[in-house]
Amino acid sequence: MQQLSTLIIPLLILFIVSVGLRRHIPVYEEFVEGAKEGFSIAVTIIPYLVAMLFAIAMFRASGALEFFMHALSPVANWLGFPPEVIPMGLIRPLTGSGSVGVLAELIQTHGTDSLIVKTAAVMFGSTETTLYVLAVYFGAINIRKTRYALQAGLIADFSGFIAAITITYWYFS
Amino acid sequence: MLNKIWAALIITSILFALIRDIMDEINNPYQNGIPQNIPYTVLKHDTQQLVLGFLTHQPDDKDLIDINAIIETDSRIKLYIDSNSPQWLQLLASVHGNGSNFTATLIEQNAEHMHILFPELHWVKLRAITEAAFDMAEFAAKLALGLIGLMALWLGLMRIAEQSGIIQSMVKIVQPLLRWLFPGIPKDHPAFASISMNMAANVLGLGNAATPLGIKAMQQLQQLNNKSDTASDEMCMFLALNTSSVQLLPPVTLIALMGTQISDLIIPIILATTCSTITAIIVVRLYQKGRLRCNN
Repeated sequence: MQQLSTLIIPLLILFIVSVGLRRHIPVYEEFVEGAKEGFSIAVTIIPYLVAMLFAIAMFRASGALEFFMHALSPVANWLGFPPEVIPMGLIRPLTGSGSVGVLAELIQTHGTDSLIVKTAAVMFGSTETTLYVLAVYFGAINIRKTRYALQAGLIADFSGFIAAITITYWYFS
Repeated sequence: MLNKIWAALIITSILFALIRDIMDEINNPYQNGIPQNIPYTVLKHDTQQLVLGFLTHQPDDKDLIDINAIIETDSRIKLYIDSNSPQWLQLLASVHGNGSNFTATLIEQNAEHMHILFPELHWVKLRAITEAAFDMAEFAAKLALGLIGLMALWLGLMRIAEQSGIIQSMVKIVQPLLRWLFPGIPKDHPAFASISMNMAANVLGLGNAATPLGIKAMQQLQQLNNKSDTASDEMCMFLALNTSSVQLLPPVTLIALMGTQISDLIIPIILATTCSTITAIIVVRLYQKGRLRCNN
């Protein structure tokens, strides 16, 4: 499986270019024609990404996250899962680097074979940084009114977390 | 919803920072205006170079951290700070100096201890969130510009694939599966191919390929959209599928962090992501049918 993912990209590139050649496409010229757009798309994304990431950075720096973690830990205890994994649930939809930091910290204190770290890792692997993806994908095509996309993404994230916690507990016990 | 969440992030962070700073003003954790007794040893008598011993401010750690310092004229002492120094000294250096040093007032000294009055620290959290906002604005632009190369590579390859008919044959294969999820995309539209390639990249944990292919798919969906500033139903479905995607192979960062333990986690991750993907499809469908409402 691991080998597959390293092989797939070079094979795909080989496939595209060789089929292009066989069908007498001027491959170099067409590649450049398509690639031209890369710059303008990246530039279009900038305002959306700045808006999203600066707000998230302020939120992280303010210490509000720790407060919510403390406020939510009785709920976690009541539901029967470790409160240590709450920060992962709170920060995962917001930032990728932040959630990597949370996981690295948990690994340092509990070790990779503890149930807490396994749960947090499954949570990490099961969801995406929804706000970042939303800013990039909608930013690239200048969509400002996102309708229900964010709600749907966050509800899916939440169900992913609940599933991750339940499944990890069931799987490792 | 996005507007409200965005505003809430900014307002809560400023309120929290303000409350924390006001509590700091009351509790005075940085000992503003209170001279500190610091043990020292002299390194060189002629240049007045010495080493100050500071508490690390970590619980159950009685060791002292050495800070280099020089006595300047008129009871002024200059402290040299690096990234291993205690947090509050680093803060002082960034607020009252150039980041690597700052000057404090030397009140009196005996053979072992120095009585030092440090500059005052106020509004630490508000300063921190402002700095975080500026830093991140800069980083966001860098991040977006960093996409240029990858975007260009994939858009170039996709262009060859379009011209040589690969996309068209791919559409034929995947559209029976995808038409159910994206009923608004007309038959034989190339968007089916980009969507399926993006999904494949996501499932295999290939983040570098997934983002450019996803943007390509979004562009094609935008051509079918009749309100150019508003997301279409197809776009919302595509985004929700993206953020909840089934992961056959975990993302590279997770593999790097977990090491050999990762092989145990693959099955739980596949099961959990299957749950979130199903939820995403159901939730988007409920919004599309008007069972759930959003106000824009």
